Amino acid sequence: MSSKSALPSSFRDPSGFLFTEDGSLYRQVNQAYRESYDHLTGSGLYDALQDSGSLIRHEEVGLELARTDEAYRVLKPQVVPFVSYPYEWSFSQLQDAALLTLDVQKKALDFGMTLKDASAYNVQFVEGKPVLIDTLSFDRYDEGQPWAAYRQFCQHFLAPLALMSHTDVRLGQLLRIHIDGVPLDLASSLLPYRTRLSFALLSHIHLHARSQKHFAERRVDVKSRKMSRLSLRGLLDNLGSAVKKLKWRSEGTLWNDYQEEASYSADALDQKRQVVAGFLDQVQPKVVWDLGANVGLFSRLASDRGILTISFDADPGCVERNYLESRRKGDTNILPLLIDLTNPSPAIGWQHEERMSLLERGPADLVLCLALIHHLAISNNLPLALVADFLASIGSSLIFEFVPKTDQRVQRLLSTREDIFTGYTQEAFERTFGQRFEIQASIQLEGSERVLYLLRRRGA
Amino acid sequence: MRHLKCLADALVFVSLLLFASTGAAHAYVDPGTGSYVIQLLIAAIAGLAFAVRIYWGRIKGFFSKSSPETQTTESDEQ
Repeated sequence: MSSKSALPSSFRDPSGFLFTEDGSLYRQVNQAYRESYDHLTGSGLYDALQDSGSLIRHEEVGLELARTDEAYRVLKPQVVPFVSYPYEWSFSQLQDAALLTLDVQKKALDFGMTLKDASAYNVQFVEGKPVLIDTLSFDRYDEGQPWAAYRQFCQHFLAPLALMSHTDVRLGQLLRIHIDGVPLDLASSLLPYRTRLSFALLSHIHLHARSQKHFAERRVDVKSRKMSRLSLRGLLDNLGSAVKKLKWRSEGTLWNDYQEEASYSADALDQKRQVVAGFLDQVQPKVVWDLGANVGLFSRLASDRGILTISFDADPGCVERNYLESRRKGDTNILPLLIDLTNPSPAIGWQHEERMSLLERGPADLVLCLALIHHLAISNNLPLALVADFLASIGSSLIFEFVPKTDQRVQRLLSTREDIFTGYTQEAFERTFGQRFEIQASIQLEGSERVLYLLRRRGA
Repeated sequence: MRHLKCLADALVFVSLLLFASTGAAHAYVDPGTGSYVIQLLIAAIAGLAFAVRIYWGRIKGFFSKSSPETQTTESDEQ
């Protein structure tokens, strides 16, 4: 691997690009972007956005690091600890990212600038809050100019949020297929008829889609039509209230009502907490991935210790509740994400290189895999050896809960299907995982048949 | 008033769109023009609403200042 490599996520922008050198991340600003960059820093906009925590921090470094002759500046941005994508966010995460984008655009207007794009991929969650990470998104605002990023905002934010709110929360996954946001004609056809009664959704989605179709092959001199600053403020205000009005109540999803506590007595649950906390203190990881985190009960044992904790679940309701709870508490170390482990986020975009797969974003120092194995091995027919291989590939330490076949939860999974899982035993688990991991500790939970293990990957 | 003219434009345009047909999109379509046009129209309406809100806030602010017993009334102005 070369010591200098340009990152494929930023190749579309002629204003500059990201690259890494000796493990550090840099952003080259090209001469073409000189005027805008100087205005961003000179007008006070950069400082104002730092004060509100809306834009990623950077420092200017020496031009000798530049990769090409076009360089005007080289920046060293604050590193985003874990990169996530809009199709991995819960409803409120996408909504907060949308509101951040509008806030930044309003602030930019106050300083004579405008956002030239409104991509959801330009937002990342840093210390629990959405932050704009593309420093090169700002252009000078000329009076009379409409918002160039309007269509992108509708496709990346308003359309998926409206679909999640009014049709089905799982339609947020359309963002995984449509990398430049949900096409508005698709959103329009999927939204229920009653959404036409809302001025904002009627205009920004339904009529917008019709207008795109209507003017698709017509030549119209649009450049001569101007839009006043007041109209632009009105448009942004309208988009903001449309986004805020959209609600999704997370009740009734599969796992949302599932009480982790229900599987244990109060004593056993307390013991499970203590054992997991003890294992965390023993390993002292910097990054934890909690797989099948539900609403993040055990993720918080890690995040409360100042450990960066990525809290995955496949249920949109759990991820939503996890995020709302973290936001309420102002937790800066936890990032709840919607991930189905049996079909995790792939690498997508041009040459599969624009957005990283989940595994490319690892490994973690420690993986929490609590009360999950029966869902993988029994509900999804995954052989224990494959589960061990996977877990060994994403972390060097593992806190694992084995749930035996006699457990009432497993019995429930088996109640409607033939038991073909003769190899699903504690002894088989220890033998299979023992090939990949060294078992450092195992503790049986009182009044339960479940066993907690601390494992260390062999050779790690 | 310019806003009223834009509003009238918008109404004509909206009724045109409501009766326009939607079919499969072609490969060479340019979604940019349609987005541009609709943005101008929505912004004209939204801008008017925004202005009304601001002025209404100012009017309310004016009266709440002039009558001391209602001084706690908050202005809607942003």
